[in-house]
Parts: sequence; structure tokens; C-alpha cells
Amino acid sequence: MSTFREGQNQAHPNKTSTLILALIMVLMANVSIQIWLLYTTLNNALANNKDIAFPAFIASLVLFLIGFFWLYYLPGGIKSRRIKKKVTLNDIYH
Amino acid sequence: MATDTKDNHWKEDFPIQQLESSQVTRRDFAKFLCLVSGGLAAGTGIVALKANYFPEEKVKGEHFVCKKNEIPLGGTRTFVIEGSTIPYVLIHLEDGQLRAYEQKCTHLSCAVFYKPKSGQIECPCHNGLFDALTGEVLAGPPPRPLPRLDVLMKGEDIFVSALPENHNRT
Repeated sequence: MSTFREGQNQAHPNKTSTLILALIMVLMANVSIQIWLLYTTLNNALANNKDIAFPAFIASLVLFLIGFFWLYYLPGGIKSRRIKKKVTLNDIYH
Repeated sequence: MATDTKDNHWKEDFPIQQLESSQVTRRDFAKFLCLVSGGLAAGTGIVALKANYFPEEKVKGEHFVCKKNEIPLGGTRTFVIEGSTIPYVLIHLEDGQLRAYEQKCTHLSCAVFYKPKSGQIECPCHNGLFDALTGEVLAGPPPRPLPRLDVLMKGEDIFVSALPENHNRT
């Protein structure tokens, strides 16, 4: 039996592609900001401006956590359908 | 990758197809980006910890460099402080003032040198220019001023020491 999700996927075959592209774009934006934060932290630390270091670290950590939980929305691959409960003879004949 | 078809027993030990080993799925790429993100966050954390709890040791005490008559106007003298490997340069500016800076460019650590009569210190690697009077960046890629030492005169002897905190650079 086809599920709602399978029907959706068949009707819109490009949806997964668009989703994954959007996810990767957001992750790349996060990483770009983190590179900038690291560069700024390093430069300021070397110039003895230490005050910026911990706020930049917290910002970078928050971006990492956003990226990490962002992966939850990553479309799964072709999964074998899980059997939720054991099929008994009664289920088949009733 | 070897494409020898005569003896393919090694393929049993390495059952990974060429296509699989050379292509990265978008899913794996997204996970890799997340890993890079974690690495960058950790790196920023290490920099923050080092800057706040393990700062670099400053130059302690006063160190003799040379006598004043050994360095002519517009001349320079490089020196290293005992117990350290950082190269410094002492500059006798044309107006008679003495300045001492770290001889490493703040961009990529190339050796900098004083351009006589110009009042500028130049880094030849990427044409970075510093003000010889203050050490501030005038042009080029260096992101920070040159680290500076305080110059002290004791009679004819020139000594250097760490620049006091909150010292006005001029």
C-alpha cells in the first residue's frame, strides 16, 4: 500500500533535491560565518583584545548546534519499510 | 586505481567500487559540513581559552641592545632577546628617535625592514607598509600593527623593555 509520503514523493520528484540543496546552503552559510568568527577571534587575540574571544566562541558553538540539529531535516535515503508489529494470522484473515 | 583484470583476488578484500569511492553523496557532504562546523567551533574555543587563560609571556626586565654610536641615523640593528627566538629590529629614525619592533610581519611572519628616509617599515612579501614611528599599518594585507618594545636610553647604552599597558603608540 502506498503511503501519503510515497505519493508525495512520486508527485514531486524534485522535492528531495530542493530540500537537500537548501539544507546544504544553510550549512555552508553557517560555516562561512564560523570561519569569519575564528579569523576575527584570532586577530583580536593576537592584538590583545581578549574580550571578543568568548562571545565569538559562543556564537560559533550556537551555529554548530544549529547545523547539527539541522541535519534532522536531512531527507533520508531509500529506507526499507519498517514492520511495526508482527503480523499474525488473525491480521491476515480479518 | 588499478584496472588490472588478470588477478582480481584483491577485489574480494576491498569490495568498494571505484564509483563509490570517488563520489560523495549530498547527504554525506551535509554531514561533513556539520563536522567542519564543529571543528571551527572547537578551534574558536581553543583560541578563546588560550587568549584568556594562557597568554603569551611578555618581555621581562630591560635588555641591552647596543651603544647609540653603533647605530647611525636612518640605520637599523636586529637583535634577539636572551631566552627567546623572536627577532626584533631597532630603528634609529632620521629625527633622532629610536624604535624597536618585532621583525615579523603580522600578516604571514615575513621579515620586515626599514626603508631609510621614508619613515616606513616594509614587508617585501606582500608589500605591507607600517609606520616606523608607531608601528601602525599604512598599507597592504597586515591585519595588526607591529608588536613594539619600549626603548630606554641609559647614557650611551640602548636598552629595550616591554611596552607598558595602555601605552599611547605615538
